[in-house]
Amino acid sequence: MSADPLQGLASVGKGQSTRSLLRVIILALIAGAAISSRLFSVIRFESIIHEFDPWFNFRATKYLVANGFYNFWDWFDDRTWHPLGRVTGGTLYPGLMVTSGVIYHALRALTIPVDIRNICVLLAPGFSGLTAWAAYLLTNEMTPSSSAGLLAALFMGIAPGYISRSVAGSYDNEAIAIFLLVFTFYLWIKALKQGSMLWGALCALFYGYMVASWGGYAFITCLLPLHAFVLICMGRYGTRLYVAYTTWYALGTLASMQIPFVGFLPVKTSEHMPALGIFGFLQLLAFLDYVRSAIPSRQFQTFLWLFAGGTFGLGLLGLVIATSAGFIAPWSGRFYSLWDTGYAKIHIPIIASVSEHQPTAWPAFFFDLNMLIWLFPVGVYLCFQQLADEHVFIVVYALFGSYFAGVMVRLMLTLTPVVCVAAAMAVSALLDTYLSAKSPEPQEAQAAESSEGKKATKSGLRSTSKPVVGVYGLWGKSMMVSALAVYLLVFVLHCTWVTSNAYSSPSVVLASRMPDGSQHIIDDYREAYQWLRQNTHEDAKIMSWWDYGYQIGGMADRPTLVDNNTWNNTHIATVGKAMSSREEVSYPIMRQHEVDYVLVVFGGLLGYSGDDINKFLWMVRIAEGIWPDEVSERAFFTPRGEYRVDGEATETMKNSLMYKMSYYNYNNLFPPGQAVDRMRGARLPEVGPTLNTLEEAFTSENWIIRIYKVKDLDNLGRDHASAAAFDRGHKKKKVTKKRGPRVLRVD
Amino acid sequence: MKTTAVFSAFLSLLSLASAASSKKSSSTSTTLPVTFRPPQVFRNANLVHIISVEKNYAKENINVLVENIDKAAQDEYFVPFTADQMSRLGGVEVKDRKDASAGPFVAEAVEFDQESDIQYLRIRLPKPLAPGAQQTLGISYYLLKAYKPLPASIKQEDQQYLSFSFSAYCPSAYTTNKQKTEVKFPTGNIPDYTKLPGSGEVKEFPQKQGSKLTYGPFDEKPAGAVQPVSVRFEFNKPVTHVSRLERDIEVSHWGGNVAFEERYTLHHRGANLSLLFNRVKWQQSQYYQPTTFALKELKFPLRVGSVDPYYTDVIGNVSTSRFRSNKREALLEIKPRYPVFGGWKYPFTIGWNSDAKNFLRRTAAGGFVLNVPFLEGPRQAEGVEYEQVQVRVILPEGAENVKYHTSIPTSSITEAGVEIHKTFLDTIGRTALVIKARNLVDDFRDRELVVTYDYPLVAMLRKPLIVFASVFAVLVGAWVVGNVELKFDSRKK
Repeated sequence: MSADPLQGLASVGKGQSTRSLLRVIILALIAGAAISSRLFSVIRFESIIHEFDPWFNFRATKYLVANGFYNFWDWFDDRTWHPLGRVTGGTLYPGLMVTSGVIYHALRALTIPVDIRNICVLLAPGFSGLTAWAAYLLTNEMTPSSSAGLLAALFMGIAPGYISRSVAGSYDNEAIAIFLLVFTFYLWIKALKQGSMLWGALCALFYGYMVASWGGYAFITCLLPLHAFVLICMGRYGTRLYVAYTTWYALGTLASMQIPFVGFLPVKTSEHMPALGIFGFLQLLAFLDYVRSAIPSRQFQTFLWLFAGGTFGLGLLGLVIATSAGFIAPWSGRFYSLWDTGYAKIHIPIIASVSEHQPTAWPAFFFDLNMLIWLFPVGVYLCFQQLADEHVFIVVYALFGSYFAGVMVRLMLTLTPVVCVAAAMAVSALLDTYLSAKSPEPQEAQAAESSEGKKATKSGLRSTSKPVVGVYGLWGKSMMVSALAVYLLVFVLHCTWVTSNAYSSPSVVLASRMPDGSQHIIDDYREAYQWLRQNTHEDAKIMSWWDYGYQIGGMADRPTLVDNNTWNNTHIATVGKAMSSREEVSYPIMRQHEVDYVLVVFGGLLGYSGDDINKFLWMVRIAEGIWPDEVSERAFFTPRGEYRVDGEATETMKNSLMYKMSYYNYNNLFPPGQAVDRMRGARLPEVGPTLNTLEEAFTSENWIIRIYKVKDLDNLGRDHASAAAFDRGHKKKKVTKKRGPRVLRVD
Repeated sequence: MKTTAVFSAFLSLLSLASAASSKKSSSTSTTLPVTFRPPQVFRNANLVHIISVEKNYAKENINVLVENIDKAAQDEYFVPFTADQMSRLGGVEVKDRKDASAGPFVAEAVEFDQESDIQYLRIRLPKPLAPGAQQTLGISYYLLKAYKPLPASIKQEDQQYLSFSFSAYCPSAYTTNKQKTEVKFPTGNIPDYTKLPGSGEVKEFPQKQGSKLTYGPFDEKPAGAVQPVSVRFEFNKPVTHVSRLERDIEVSHWGGNVAFEERYTLHHRGANLSLLFNRVKWQQSQYYQPTTFALKELKFPLRVGSVDPYYTDVIGNVSTSRFRSNKREALLEIKPRYPVFGGWKYPFTIGWNSDAKNFLRRTAAGGFVLNVPFLEGPRQAEGVEYEQVQVRVILPEGAENVKYHTSIPTSSITEAGVEIHKTFLDTIGRTALVIKARNLVDDFRDRELVVTYDYPLVAMLRKPLIVFASVFAVLVGAWVVGNVELKFDSRKK
């Protein structure tokens, strides 16, 4: 019926150059869609850096742009981790900052002086366009159908699993790392397929870039050797594999060791051992290959067994000795928690306290990947159908990626590319089958007639026999195609909805609605940070829970005690102890650390859930990990095991500094006895807590941020408690008793 | 109508306007020998000194009837100030009270001895005053940073009091026959003021009438006589002080747009908080004691037709602003992120766009005339003072022959010159006229700045041509590179 226009349309895409032009246009459109779907937060709020970690990256980038690369490399930051400081240049992945710095200077050279903040905000969306392109390239290596590549690019562009880490303003390492991940995989496949040193070297180059950008590079470091290992086990060892792998490993390892933060880790830690092991194994195989060609096969058999067994035994022994002697560091805690999800909670509470390190809940897969998650196995199945070297890669990647994504929420990110590739292969296989408008010509049908009879019995998907058949019924075709189209449309809707609702909040700025429906912005964080920045001494030390360290450094520009780079557990535990102890215990700690101001986040007035009282138990746990005698988590729970903040709260809770700072003066906002914590739905005691060693310095409009000033030592040498009691006039009250009617003093 | 007015003003003042194409155009001080003393050639027959402390700067008006007592005609009248006052002095304007058409007289600081505590302002009379003749001078000026809060720190809910010191006898370089000093206050609440023995029928100075104090009339005082007095008065309003204002006006001919951006460094010079900020009290006081000395809001009446306003500070957009725009007004109301109390600081940036039609005209000679307000700060009841002001008019790339005229008192302008400002897609950079002024107050809001310049067609076409040429070059380069054969042997294929 509509065959003519369809055929006309199909013939448009016949010519080679028309096709490539179309492909370029479609890819450009996909990149455009990928970028624009990440701009929700810029349009709704403003061009602002989001959340916590990006604030550090932003601050480091500004430092890089202002002071040049070498100063950045040698940067010792004395405004964090007071009084320790941080060798920032040697403890970060510089890839992200250097990328923005290069873009900044390149644009400047082109006389387009774009503000560094805008570059940082828009870096992640920009790179998402590149990621879509890289997914296109990778998929094209998997299947001859070019539509699969375009579909993969589209999926990659808008899949929420990736968007979650790459919206505008989410200026984090992942912003560029996912592109590098996918592109490195593409180069690896290319190198492997061609056995080309050039591609292998390129792969190593991008691997080096990846190492410079994100700690997740270990994923590549483990996945490529695993792929090589599986290939070897399948008996597919060959020179192509040898050339590709050794080129990548030798150059890539050298490249990765140039990053100060990585340094000698590639030869020292267990995470990097598989890569080294496979490298050695490949040398052995190459050697054996050579020996086999040189000596008769019977002698070779015995030689092989002796040699292989001996080497394996020696290697294992060497590894065990090196590990136990301490040459090779044991697996780090974050790595252990990948195998045992309960490990971190017991041993390293600080890792467990980060929500993105929690195991994934199953709805998250549907939330982040929607229909891709059920197309994913189909794609993997299609890979099994052909099972060339590159398909083995997808299978291995799929296995590993799924496992890790199940263990840690944030690793959904590394799963997303393979899901997109596999799902695109599945969808394109379906579309290729059902979307061909022309029915098979009778001649073709005749030619295929012999196999026609078998078709019904044989599996239609068996690709080896490749019968020249088609689907005849237009009805069936259109059913299938329209169903797929509906799915694709729903997918787009879902992605847009998720991006818009779940991933586009800067979390520095909160949005709410006024009664008339207009948007009202709650900007307490920046109100308080700006106050700190403008009205406190430039070197005033701020103590807060580590979550806010980067933001204070970035927005308030003040030194902090701890921040989101949680390298020193003891220091964090010290802050945790100060927060969870009595004032008399906390005050010396604060004095010793020269704390001038203490900042707490309080959501009780607004019902804001991410506040410090809700995070308090983690502070207690982390402090307890270091000082089990002084801080006890149990003491913060009522005898019935409840975590309460109202009148029933335990004495330890009520006397802790955090509780006092959160609720100090809060009851004065309400009529007597009616103070309510709207977050926890608790009615607070009539008499609020008293603070002796701190004084309230600033409270933001909605009480989200409360800043306290640490009092200096008392001028008269009294302790703070008695000095404060004297100021409140407690002593006077005892002395003066009612002596007749009160008389107004007349001057 | 407006064009002609602008044009005539521009023509008439072109002679006065410094040719700004050269660097540095104005020097307001002249050097005199160290031993300089003003020659006693004048006598102040009658002098009325009016000090207004109603706003957060002091505005002073000296109306003086001068008489030439020398034998020769004189044209230089000197007014003494202390060195400290000199640094805070701004907006000096001198007129003839009787003859408005005599125009503003030239007043300039005299440089003679850096160490001396007495510095002079020299007023040049346009026509030398004949011996024995009289002339009424109206000298008005502003003193910034005029007050000190007393007590220096108060509680959040307390009233703020400021103290102001001055001389009851108007400082003069000449003998004064008769004088009085009037001080106007914002309210009648003046708890402390220096009392002086009276003369004549008045027993005691000052006399208080509502919110006004009058010292005098005094009889003859010799040159240089001073009588320090100080007053302390209620001023329950913010003491807003802008230590630096950078104002950029960017003209785009292609876009038909004039973009304004102003960067303020704002301080509150009033009383500090004796107890730290208490949010509960602040929220309560919002209901039953709305007047406070904290700065809560700033209102910027912009020119009608202003669009796309923005209000940001160093960490991003500030959402607490409102813009009312209609045919009659364009009012930008902004709130600082936090109430600004004494001793606190709040730097911020605002900006807006406007159609070039509203400010830019083409002259018959082919040049352009830009007429913009020199200053467009907030209009507050309590006033705003500006210590350093830098106005930068960024003209299109290739604009030349830049001249300017402004109705801001010339003594306030410290420096003016033309610079090059490089920004988006510039090759030679844009011509920028930079004018630096100091010690201005919001009374000068409506003073205009007229800039004339030529903008040839070639300069106008420069940018599109360069963009076109460079894109073209890139494409040609790509084509050439694409055609380079890198394979060893291409014939095989």
